[in-house]
Amino acid sequence: MVCRGAKNALIMVALSCCLFLLAAPGLPAQAKNSCINCHGLFDPPLGINAEEFAGSIHAQKGLLCTSCHGGDSSSDDMTQAMGKAAGFRGHIERAQIPALCGKCHSDAAYMRGFNPSVRTDQLSQYQTSVHGKMLAKGNSHVAVCIDCHTTHNIHPPNDPRSSVYPANVARTCARCHANAEYMKDYKIPTNQFALYSTSVHHEALAVRGDLSAPTCSTCHGSHGAAPPGVASVERVCSTCHVFQQQLFDSGPHKAAFGAMGFPGCITCHSNHAIQHPSDGSIGTGNTAFCVRCHVEGDAGYTAAAGMHAGLVKLDGEIQRSEEILKRAQVSGVEVGQTAMALTEAQDDLTKARVAIHSARPDAVDQNIQAGLKVTDKTWQAGLAAMKELKYRRQGLVASIVAIVLVLIALAFLIRKIEAPKPGETK
Amino acid sequence: MSEQSLNAPGQPKRRLFVEIFLGAGVAASLASFLYPVLRYIFPPETAEATSDTVLAGRVGDLKPNTGKIFRFGSRPALLILTPDGQYSAISAVCTHLNCTVQYRSDLRSVWCACHNGMYTPDGRNISGPPPRPLDKYDVFLKGEEIYVRRQGNA
Repeated sequence: MVCRGAKNALIMVALSCCLFLLAAPGLPAQAKNSCINCHGLFDPPLGINAEEFAGSIHAQKGLLCTSCHGGDSSSDDMTQAMGKAAGFRGHIERAQIPALCGKCHSDAAYMRGFNPSVRTDQLSQYQTSVHGKMLAKGNSHVAVCIDCHTTHNIHPPNDPRSSVYPANVARTCARCHANAEYMKDYKIPTNQFALYSTSVHHEALAVRGDLSAPTCSTCHGSHGAAPPGVASVERVCSTCHVFQQQLFDSGPHKAAFGAMGFPGCITCHSNHAIQHPSDGSIGTGNTAFCVRCHVEGDAGYTAAAGMHAGLVKLDGEIQRSEEILKRAQVSGVEVGQTAMALTEAQDDLTKARVAIHSARPDAVDQNIQAGLKVTDKTWQAGLAAMKELKYRRQGLVASIVAIVLVLIALAFLIRKIEAPKPGETK
Repeated sequence: MSEQSLNAPGQPKRRLFVEIFLGAGVAASLASFLYPVLRYIFPPETAEATSDTVLAGRVGDLKPNTGKIFRFGSRPALLILTPDGQYSAISAVCTHLNCTVQYRSDLRSVWCACHNGMYTPDGRNISGPPPRPLDKYDVFLKGEEIYVRRQGNA
């Protein structure tokens, strides 16, 4: 009987082990985590927020304190739980953190168990980054995994609570990069976040909530973070601004910028504080980018002035047509077809504004002329609509005059009928 | 004599009533005649009057995997016959900078020529600068005619 009981117990243990292995790679969520009993009560740095940790992706996937810190969380005995025999590591040096995280996150086979498409190149990317290279040289004053992802409150990047959620990335980077005191040894500016906060990219991301809009890591990389470098700025921007790059490459600026060592795109648009360009960005006015290099009399100066004039002319013509069509429309004249035709001119203006990147006046003028042809027709149609309106109003006035005359005549007639006839008494 | 004495006190009252009645009727008629005239001469600054349903085309106008632009009010819209034979109608005004989008058979997607914006045939923005999807319309057939209707106006 005893023997059978022992056999059954062994089978149960074996089955439990099998189930445990099947549930791998994560540890069961209900596994005992005795560390929290004490460390949940301590103040930092020894204390952790148990609630925060419980909500983190690691705890959600069944990882325990021991997954990173070693030890045995199943034991309530402190000496055993934090004993050398149980592999307790305790505090982890900053320099060791990337390797520690990489132990799981670079293990494709292990990570596949949690998410079949999760990336596992973070550590190798990190080693190519400015942060990673400096860490390898012994400078632990640089960002390691926990500086961006936090330690115990880690969430996946698509979780709005995450420090690396697109809308939170800039603020996360700014924790170090906007801190002049912290960055004083590196001789790089610390105004990037302030400048970025004024940019069209920040507006798209933070104000309009477009999560595909760029933040720091979009241009600099995340794990492999580094400045793009003069040669690759254009390629970085062109991941979104495709046409602008193609046009830039087809124009004279490509070679000229290359010869002078100017990076593409940011030479005109700046890098962090990119503003929405206007038609005043090209030309020879105060706000024009062109006059930073071109001076009166050179071919570029003349070309810039010509392209600016073309844009202003077409924009003015579109507005003139819009105004007359709106007046006609609110007055009851049907101009829907013409209003729709006018959208073609708007398309041409937008295309002309993109064609600016070729710095070729003929390419811009092609779009301008196409647009002007449309606005010529829409303006004529607008004039015709107003003529029609005038004609209708004249007809209305004529009919009102006729009706009023009839009413007056009727009034006289009624009075005449009602008037007492001569000799008749009331 | 007795009849006259009965009616005499009532006559001016009755006449007054008839005059007020007639006067009010004439005034109301004039007001109803002048009001639309005045509204016509001084039109309100309203947005464009938009129709809710338009005829977008006829069955057979489109081959599968093609699209065509049609007018919805004063704005362009796009009717697409997808490769699997489904009609889709969406606004053709790009949500980035209002350019007119087109259906690209080679990409099987809706494409904006201004900044390379890309949408699915049912208007979801999938690539490039468009910040949000294109407005989607309902499509229904009446015999051989394809009608497109603003959503929520069924």
